[in-house]
Amino acid sequence: MTETDALLGFQPFPYVGDEALRQPITDALRRVIDPEVALSIVDVGLIYQVTVAEQRVHVLMTMTSPACPVADEIMDEVERRLDPVVPADHRIELELCWEPPWTPECITPQGRRLMGW
Amino acid sequence: MHHAPRPPADGLVSRTPAQARSTRPTGLARPVIALAFATMLAGMAGGLLRAGVALPLQAGWVSQAMVWHAALMICAFFGTVIGIERAVALKHRAAFVPPLISAGSGLLLLLGEPAAAHAGFVLAGAGFVAVNIAIVRRQAATHTLLLLLGALCWMGGSTLAAAGVAQGAALAAWFAFLVLTIGAERLEMTRLMRRRPGAEGLLLAVLGVLLLGTALCAPWPAIGGVVYGLALAALAGWLATFDIARRTVRAPGLTRYMALCLLAGYGWLAVGGLAWAASSAGLAGARDASLHALGLGFVFSMVMGHAPVILPAVARVKLAFGPAFYLPLAALHGSLLLRLAGGALSPAWRSAGAALNGTAIVLFILTLLGAALAWRRRHGPAA
Repeated sequence: MTETDALLGFQPFPYVGDEALRQPITDALRRVIDPEVALSIVDVGLIYQVTVAEQRVHVLMTMTSPACPVADEIMDEVERRLDPVVPADHRIELELCWEPPWTPECITPQGRRLMGW
Repeated sequence: MHHAPRPPADGLVSRTPAQARSTRPTGLARPVIALAFATMLAGMAGGLLRAGVALPLQAGWVSQAMVWHAALMICAFFGTVIGIERAVALKHRAAFVPPLISAGSGLLLLLGEPAAAHAGFVLAGAGFVAVNIAIVRRQAATHTLLLLLGALCWMGGSTLAAAGVAQGAALAAWFAFLVLTIGAERLEMTRLMRRRPGAEGLLLAVLGVLLLGTALCAPWPAIGGVVYGLALAALAGWLATFDIARRTVRAPGLTRYMALCLLAGYGWLAVGGLAWAASSAGLAGARDASLHALGLGFVFSMVMGHAPVILPAVARVKLAFGPAFYLPLAALHGSLLLRLAGGALSPAWRSAGAALNGTAIVLFILTLLGAALAWRRRHGPAA
């Protein structure tokens, strides 16, 4: 959570599992930036859920368009950012889904503010 | 405020990154992209000869490139790179077949086999329609449907070109393919901003008029061309009003560079549209401006803007973005101004501008190579 999130008591995505990992995982995901809008994938609303259980970190995520070729690049970056904050005995699992489709409602309040909503 | 809980992962299109890497059919992407760039350079040589630039080239392929300049640039280059982009998005091996065919057809044009090449472009267009149907089936949204319409324009234009009828309409349809593709992608991005009511409807109306103009070009080239050109100019107005680039241009680094590529492109789209209408209404001198404000100022500026993000995704080449990218961008837009404004005064300026347009594109390719080397120097060879 960013400072703003903390003030609002806002959770940018549903998180299930070890509370100690919530903050580092959120921070790591926030470092993955969509270069075209200079917005983190968390604020764009691409992270649908993070589950930490049975020594695995499972990230359920989407893209804004199924026609966009950068999905693998973004997922590589997510893995690269998560790697240092996830305990070594945990597996990182990234899952890309298209249902439910991404909509502008997925953008976080901070993302909206940055995009001038 | 909390997000609504998402449904569980079961039953969704899913995979882990490890699996994803093993299914990435990028082995094909690099050679096909290389072939697309090679046919583009050949097509450029043909274009330069058309513009009256003396080139020290005598080979047979050069005269073919001069005859088939538009097909090489639009179908063999843009069609191929857009096809690769969509194939990488779809992650299906078969989706690489259309760009493979369009790139190969470009080669056939240069080898003096226009009939086979044109049949190839029709086939590539049809295959690309199928790829876009698969994308729409994954997610039916306005922007994916517009991408499909764009693909249909490519196939339609190529069919006319292959049949040798209504060549004006064929060219309009080819450009409509590029314009619809870009319009769809920009519409998708505008969803990140609070969109004013009616914006999407307005865009659809403008694109509808563009398609009407394309269709009218077959029976009534003059009327169709005027409608088509005015629709392009209206699209420029829409993009300049609603696109996120107006906001992202204030961000630093790559984001700003991309936004500047977009905004400069929208300016040329307006010029190209008005010039298209003027040229269709009988002002012969506006033809070069209509085609190249559109192809170079608008479409190639989009390519320059998105290459630092898309090329790493499709060719698995890491690039270090830096201020050097502004050099080819400035060269492209400056030389286009010289070509079109100077060209209105004298053919010599047109030739000089065209030669510098080509130089800008070569500079852009060198910048990409430099950015790839810079990344490797900083991080070691890419995985």
